[in-house]
Amino acid sequence: MSENDRANGGDNHEDAELFAQLRSLWRDVDPMPAALIDRMIAAVAAEGLSEEYALLTLIEEPLGAVRGDADALTLQFSDGTTSILLHVTRTASGAHRVDGWVDSISGAIELAQGESIRTTTANDTGRFLFDDVPDGLTRVRLSATVGDQERTLSTPQFEL
Amino acid sequence: MLLTGVITMGLMIDGAPDGAALDPAPDDGAARWRRAAEFFDAWRDGESRAMDDLVRLMTPVLWHVVRAYGLDRTLAEDVVQTTWLQLVRGHRSISDPKAVSAWLTTTARREAWRAGKAQNRVDTTESDALDALLPTQQSAEHHATVGDEKRRLWAAVHLLADRCQRLLRVIAFEERPDYARLAADLAMPVGSIGPTRQRCLAKLRELLDAPTPRTEGSS
Repeated sequence: MSENDRANGGDNHEDAELFAQLRSLWRDVDPMPAALIDRMIAAVAAEGLSEEYALLTLIEEPLGAVRGDADALTLQFSDGTTSILLHVTRTASGAHRVDGWVDSISGAIELAQGESIRTTTANDTGRFLFDDVPDGLTRVRLSATVGDQERTLSTPQFEL
Repeated sequence: MLLTGVITMGLMIDGAPDGAALDPAPDDGAARWRRAAEFFDAWRDGESRAMDDLVRLMTPVLWHVVRAYGLDRTLAEDVVQTTWLQLVRGHRSISDPKAVSAWLTTTARREAWRAGKAQNRVDTTESDALDALLPTQQSAEHHATVGDEKRRLWAAVHLLADRCQRLLRVIAFEERPDYARLAADLAMPVGSIGPTRQRCLAKLRELLDAPTPRTEGSS
């Protein structure tokens, strides 16, 4: 490496080594607070939800208390303006069928399980269907138009 | 006053586990930047947990970059949080995912500079308390974990001008600084960053090579 490179901020091996020692030093003498990462993750999650998704909350789980065989599950979420009802049944193949109903005019409706996202739309009466849904943590997102305002809503994650 | 500083810093070092241990890539800058881009890309594709990974990866870097500006620990945490919230709100302005690390560290520096100026803290805060940490003052535990070499380095770093300390710390953790922005932040001409960096490194080596470490006279 030429002097000129060095003058322009290029790194050579010795510099890199010294910088590694400096990093190690500062990590020791001025450590990041142990809880900082968890706090930042929480702050970002809260911000992401308020920014992009109004979180729907679980209103009732009418069959939850009595579903001994877990064959059927009904979940209702609402944010006070828009409600969404999900009726989940076990299919013959062992997957789940999710029959949904939304009481606002909505655009695309997403069913997200980790990286897998499926999209559908509701019919005129607000009904929609996701068939062959595997087990897993699931959330449903949709954009709903209330008055002249369009909002993106999300359910919390729930286990299928 | 000094005693308080010693006790506080001592507890911080010897007490709770160091959050930096969670850093998945502590010494490979290029790998860190690459992974950051991957996580950011995945997050924008709808994988919400990728943001948690990005936060885990980059928060330690942001912490040290922000602390380089002399903010106290509480204010530094606020600045790191502001940086993350700005990313969530403003991510659409980042067209190339590979730019996310630079965007984060640049935002952190700008916010740290602003916060420091607003509170008139840059260059002054805690330097006394930190000086108190110089070798002779440390607890037995700290003594054991840090070791001679590191204490000599720490002593040498503290004999550098504040500007050098800040520049070296930012460069050490950022590992790919944007010299134009850094120059503006540190009120230095762009062309002088490289030479300044070399001068700071040279001065540090000179201090390390000095036969007797001097721990006094750092003011």
